[in-house]
Amino acid sequence: MTDADEQEDLEWVEPPMVAASEAEIVQMARALTAPQAHDVWTLLASSRSMPPKVGPTCARLVGDAIEQIWPALWRREGARFGASIRDGKVIRGRGWERNPPSPLEFSPFTLALLRWLVEVPLAAGAAPELAAQPVAIGDQVVAYLALSVATETPAQLSIARFSKVAVTPLVWLGFAQVLPGEPPEARDWDELVTGPGAVVIEALQVDLAKRWRTIELTKRTITEPDALIALGGAQDKTLLAFMAACSRAGRRDLAGFVIDAMLPLLDRQVAPFPNELDRTKPLSTRTAARKASGALLRGLDTWLQWDREHRGIRFLDDDYEASQLLLTRFEKALRNGADVLVPTWLAELASLAPASSATIDSPEAL
Amino acid sequence: MSRAIQVRVSESVVRTIHVEDGVESPLELLPVLAPDRMAELLAKELEGQGFTREGKLAKRTDGDVEIVIDLEAASVSVKIGAHTKLKEEVQLETRTAIEHEQQAESRLRDAAIDEIEARLAAKTEAMRREITEKLEKKLADLRTELDQAIGRATVEALTERAQQLGKIEEISKDEAGNVTIKVKL
Repeated sequence: MTDADEQEDLEWVEPPMVAASEAEIVQMARALTAPQAHDVWTLLASSRSMPPKVGPTCARLVGDAIEQIWPALWRREGARFGASIRDGKVIRGRGWERNPPSPLEFSPFTLALLRWLVEVPLAAGAAPELAAQPVAIGDQVVAYLALSVATETPAQLSIARFSKVAVTPLVWLGFAQVLPGEPPEARDWDELVTGPGAVVIEALQVDLAKRWRTIELTKRTITEPDALIALGGAQDKTLLAFMAACSRAGRRDLAGFVIDAMLPLLDRQVAPFPNELDRTKPLSTRTAARKASGALLRGLDTWLQWDREHRGIRFLDDDYEASQLLLTRFEKALRNGADVLVPTWLAELASLAPASSATIDSPEAL
Repeated sequence: MSRAIQVRVSESVVRTIHVEDGVESPLELLPVLAPDRMAELLAKELEGQGFTREGKLAKRTDGDVEIVIDLEAASVSVKIGAHTKLKEEVQLETRTAIEHEQQAESRLRDAAIDEIEARLAAKTEAMRREITEKLEKKLADLRTELDQAIGRATVEALTERAQQLGKIEEISKDEAGNVTIKVKL
């Protein structure tokens, strides 16, 4: 090897150089797709002054990190073999085989959010508001991942409250319990059930099921009726809007996570009855809180209604193939007694004089 | 040199307080017959329980508790309310320099009003808790009563349905309340 060759090799391996603040932005972008490889909490809790602009090298590195979003999403899904409905037909395979490559669009919000996450110390509980608003589906995914990596830290609440992510339907689907205000308008949900948005939802099925089940179990510890009403109300509006959008787009398969979230609870007959609510509160408030705690159950009730429709679709009808897939999807819930337990539990939640409150011996086992 | 004075303020309020609490719940009425007929059968059972029919509603008042059943929507609403006249009086005093008399009086008056509002709020809350407790006691009995009425209305409906299907040969009822209707088709 000549000296000239050696020189060329050295130049080729030279790491890209960025400012320290830019390095943290890149690290944050990488942490969103591979949180296990980074000290996310330190990144979120610390603060750093940011220059007004980032250099081209930083922009390129952030771009490289963001390109890892699809593999990161499919990893969350566990690379399962599954089926999707497209134009009334069923397509089978792994996620990336079922769906053609769908580039995600990003707006300047994504970089603004990454800068904000690095700049602001998010452990404090209060933070200056982020000025930019998410507009593209890619922004929604980045916002979802940011809330996801901050799970079980005070930073999650700060991101939810101060970063304007609460205007996007995807984060409502995953994090309704921490978001302020109201879920987006009905028409905004359509982008999650068509195009790249639908592929994102397919990839997040396992993740969403786990999140909804976790909330379902943790909300039993809530004794403050108003908190339960707020949480249940947000969950109800979110599921109602999302499931209606799924129906409109002929993509009811995308609401499959509702079934997956409830299956272990049905199997063990863990009803969503809240524990003893604050008895000093009016009965009207406590009753409203009990009703609100059945949000996921109402989602499954919608699946029960859909199931009855799917059974009526005959061999010669256009949607036969899709309806057969959906019938199969719901069969497990029926085997676990959904048709009896769901109406019974909903009736008990709305009962005049509730006879039961729930206790779970080992919620972590679910 | 300024002179010290004593400022005394007295405030009193008489206020009529109304508190209420209530719940609404759906009735689990099986659709054995057409909704109109099911509503009729339930209304008949409720009339036997002291309810008064007013169009699509069946009403009864038990003391302070008002029970309204919407026969068409198959739902029940139970409300309790109470009102009373509360009188509160507060007297506060302080010592201040004579040139600060007006400010001191204004401060005392605000404090007196706040004190009265706090006392009224506490009494209102106590009253509300009292009626809530009363309502809770009532609901357990009412649920049993309504379940029984719905049960009887359902048996009536099943009997009618059986008559539509054929000739009733036997109706038997066991100790657990299960009803068996034998029909010859």
